[in-house]
Amino acid sequence: MIKASLRGLLQRKLRLALAVIAIVLSVGFLSGSIVLGDTLNARFAGLFSTINENVAVQVTAKDPDAAEPARLSQADLDRLSRVDGVAQASGDVSAEGVIPFRTDTGKAVTAQVGLAAGVDSRGDTLGLVELREGAWPARADEVVLSANTAKLAKAQRGTQLKVFVPQLGEARTYTVSGIAGFAGGRDSLAGETLVMFELKHAQELFYGTTGVYASASFGAASGVSQDELKKRIERELPSGFKAQTGKEATEEASNALGDSFGIFTIILSAFAGVAAFVGIFLIYNTFNIIVAQRSRELALLRAMGASWGQVIRAVLLEALVVGGFGATLGLGFGIAVGVGAEALLSNMLGVDLPSGGVVVSMWAVLWSYVVGLIVTMIAAFIPAVKASMVPPIAAMRETVRPDKSLLGLSITGGAFLVPGAGLVALALTGIGSATTLVLAGGVVLVFLGVALLSPLLAKPVVRLLGWLLGRGQAGKLGVRNALRNPRRTAVTAAALMIGVTLITTAATVAQSFKSSIEDIVGQNTGVDIMILGPNTGPPNGEIGFNPAALDEVKKLPGVTDTAAWHITIEAAIAGTPAFISAADVPTAKRMWQMQEVGGQLRTLGAQEMVVDDNMAEASRWKAGDQVTVGIGQTSKKYTIVGIYKRTPTLQGPILGLPAVDDFAGKLAYQGFVSLDDGADVAGTVAKVEDIMSDYPGVTVGDMSSFARQQSQAFDVLVNAITILLGVALLIALLGIINTLLLSIVERTRELGLVRAVGLSRGGVVRMVGVESVLISVFGCLLGVTLGVGLGAAFVKALIDLDFMSKFALPWANLAVYVGAALVFGVVAALWPARRAAKLNVLEAIAYE
Amino acid sequence: MSAAARAVDVWKVYGSGEAQVIALRGVNLEVERGKFTAIMGPSGSGKSTLMHCLAGLDSVTRGEVAVGDTRVTGLSDAGLTRLRREKVGFIFQQFNLLPTLTAEENITLPLAISGRKPDKAWYDTVIQTVGLGDRLGHRPSQLSGGQQQRVACARALVSRPEVIFADEPTGNLDSRSGADILGFLRRSVSEFGQTIVMVTHDANAASYADRVIFLADGRIVDEIENPTAEAVLDKIKSLDTLAVSEDRVEVAE
Repeated sequence: MIKASLRGLLQRKLRLALAVIAIVLSVGFLSGSIVLGDTLNARFAGLFSTINENVAVQVTAKDPDAAEPARLSQADLDRLSRVDGVAQASGDVSAEGVIPFRTDTGKAVTAQVGLAAGVDSRGDTLGLVELREGAWPARADEVVLSANTAKLAKAQRGTQLKVFVPQLGEARTYTVSGIAGFAGGRDSLAGETLVMFELKHAQELFYGTTGVYASASFGAASGVSQDELKKRIERELPSGFKAQTGKEATEEASNALGDSFGIFTIILSAFAGVAAFVGIFLIYNTFNIIVAQRSRELALLRAMGASWGQVIRAVLLEALVVGGFGATLGLGFGIAVGVGAEALLSNMLGVDLPSGGVVVSMWAVLWSYVVGLIVTMIAAFIPAVKASMVPPIAAMRETVRPDKSLLGLSITGGAFLVPGAGLVALALTGIGSATTLVLAGGVVLVFLGVALLSPLLAKPVVRLLGWLLGRGQAGKLGVRNALRNPRRTAVTAAALMIGVTLITTAATVAQSFKSSIEDIVGQNTGVDIMILGPNTGPPNGEIGFNPAALDEVKKLPGVTDTAAWHITIEAAIAGTPAFISAADVPTAKRMWQMQEVGGQLRTLGAQEMVVDDNMAEASRWKAGDQVTVGIGQTSKKYTIVGIYKRTPTLQGPILGLPAVDDFAGKLAYQGFVSLDDGADVAGTVAKVEDIMSDYPGVTVGDMSSFARQQSQAFDVLVNAITILLGVALLIALLGIINTLLLSIVERTRELGLVRAVGLSRGGVVRMVGVESVLISVFGCLLGVTLGVGLGAAFVKALIDLDFMSKFALPWANLAVYVGAALVFGVVAALWPARRAAKLNVLEAIAYE
Repeated sequence: MSAAARAVDVWKVYGSGEAQVIALRGVNLEVERGKFTAIMGPSGSGKSTLMHCLAGLDSVTRGEVAVGDTRVTGLSDAGLTRLRREKVGFIFQQFNLLPTLTAEENITLPLAISGRKPDKAWYDTVIQTVGLGDRLGHRPSQLSGGQQQRVACARALVSRPEVIFADEPTGNLDSRSGADILGFLRRSVSEFGQTIVMVTHDANAASYADRVIFLADGRIVDEIENPTAEAVLDKIKSLDTLAVSEDRVEVAE
């Protein structure tokens, strides 16, 4: 029995080829993203071990994120460096967000990370950074740049260089006294910029006082192990500090970074999951058709005494072999994809990572086989059961497959759809941390439900489409072929539906956002110009602009009002992570026309706040209540003094300006400017831009340019989603090709017949083409309909939460999708139609 | 008057070297217009191959085939397609109809494919002759084997081709349904002047023809005009005593 089924497998290898390709693609996508994540992780781990190469022990604050983190004094450092076994000691003075400006264009240098450090005349005693030319900074107005920084800023020795220092809240000009590189001749560690200040100056800039260090690194004398030195240093540690060996520090740093790649891998894996889900439809169809075509052979086996269990096992064994084979190829493909993507990504980000081999972890291998096998087994299960139900008598007679009623199928579809829609609705009203899972589960159920219901829809919709598209006799025959097996047409179309639904949902939500923004811009809120902080990192007070710069803006002709908006996401309200603003409430009230719902919207003192009405309602807060607000590491009780009406532009907790002291930095992240009626908007924007030019990444625009910018951001997002769903769409395309090819094999004699009664080769091509286009357009219409529905549900939820104000359909996108489906159908038909047209008439008629 | 179909010194060879099989060895045949011609012969005699070559479904290795005044040998695929649309009709042993079309749509399929309108009077005559009036809206799966074959006959007739080629049209039918079909073919020759070439191995079926050609071993070995079933049977018996060569061929059975 096993031998028979394996032999059968080999004979049908061509028919299974596309199923294998589908598995290869979805497994490849998944293993590719895992390999990419692992490889990047390993690259960065390599980077950290380079950084810590000569570090035997590192001493850092136990709680570096505290509002007032512990600092090492010069005396601490001196004492620790006298510990027996310490060969070198280096105190660390460093900061992020220090950004040089280009000397040619005057614009801020855009790098992933802008590092700064303090060095004395000895330079880096641990040998990571090496001076290449010039001298280490000896005065407060001198800096040394890493070679990469010098290249990006177009600076050289002696250049006057403007550098933005977040702690100062402004840019300062320094003289470049030298250029440095990294051990091994590297210009940067990973594409970052590095500006090195004179030590005392750096201490004053970053820590407000000289003679203190954030941490320290120690090199060991020969013969002293890292662990041994750590023990000795621990005895001398000041309170609030911990010691780690160089190895431990490297691990900790790369693990922290690994977590951020983890999210990246999860997002890619989610899209890989969609691809695998679509693959199930293709494989299901393949096995279903093969089982139908083999029903006589299966019946013969049954007549010879094979039990139904044996038949099921035989089909599932085939699936196992196909799945295992596909998973193996997919893993190989994924490794190649991972390597390629890593190279591409490093190139795109301009990150010059230490090279090393590709990392294929056990997880990549494991997941490849789990997904490859499970997907195939799930897909083959129903066809296997069907195969087992072929009665032995079917071997003796011509198999007649009457049209089965779609009632049972449709009821099952409803049984999936209704709870699925319920789960989506539940998720959208928000039920806490499980929301994403509930949503995903609901959407999957909705997909299955619609897929099961789609055979019912296939007849009327395809008939209507056929009436539009199926011109001529060849076209008519194509329409009939698409209609003859609604289940097959529907399952094939459903695979395409999934991708189209997700894209349409994204496009619908994006379009609604865009038109909500246009609405807001259209309404005259009183704000005419917006100043937006850089998108180089999460707002926390360390990036943005000095609010004092707004004083200059206010002096510009035509400017009536300005408001600085401080934002941090390193915050929590009553224990829940939150996005917190700090601003002058009366100004905001005036400019944004805030409506008072409860309490008072007045100038806030320390530990006073206002919240929006949605928040107040959800948490049952009223004016006068006290709420715990955490900012960074601080945690204080705030009194709610007022409640305002939430709008899409203005929402969330707003604290008074005194709260900014607890932010990581004192920079404002957004600024709003009101103008007189008739003021020169464009001219003022240019002047504000000029004032803001010292702040890296800060952009200025009027409301319409702001809207345009937001729209573009949404377009980019929708495009990114579409590209990531490309694999799922590709598998759906393969699915159509697959169904057409298998149908053509099944209808070989019919093809011979229509050729014998005079249909030309072109006619056969048209016939297959029309069937293909009908399947593709039907799938697209299902997807567009479902996607608009899901999108509307999302938008409604977002409107309820006041994140947007109106629902809008992305008509242009929808038209493009339907147009693309037409092309998709034609492309899918190319190969099958060629095969059908090339059939020898006589052989086709004689085909058994 | 020229022949409706003609084979001149037709050879058909399959394969090469050791595996070479000679299906037809210099066959010369003129199919008379307005006559019912039957081709008989044992399995492997080349009768089906001859018909396929005459109809342009298969190419000849040597010699020449023509249907009416159209030279079939050497026609391109487009030319063959035109030939099938305009000059030739087919009736096969089984699986003659498209399952997605109704009986009526199957009958008019050749006309629809070539973009012609059926001649109303002729169409009605054909429908009446095959006696399918109340079954026209049915799908093939709702028709019996005999009814399906009658639809196939009507389809072949409705475009009034130069020749209808029928390949064992009664092979899959019970004797009653078979007799119906043969009677119908006979009438379309006698009453409407249709030319029919039929391949069969059934002496009774051959007795409906005006002329029976006997093939053995790829050659025409004999023929009878206005045959009776008995005469055909006798002829077959006398042929059976002839040695059958080793190189037999199975085509389209």
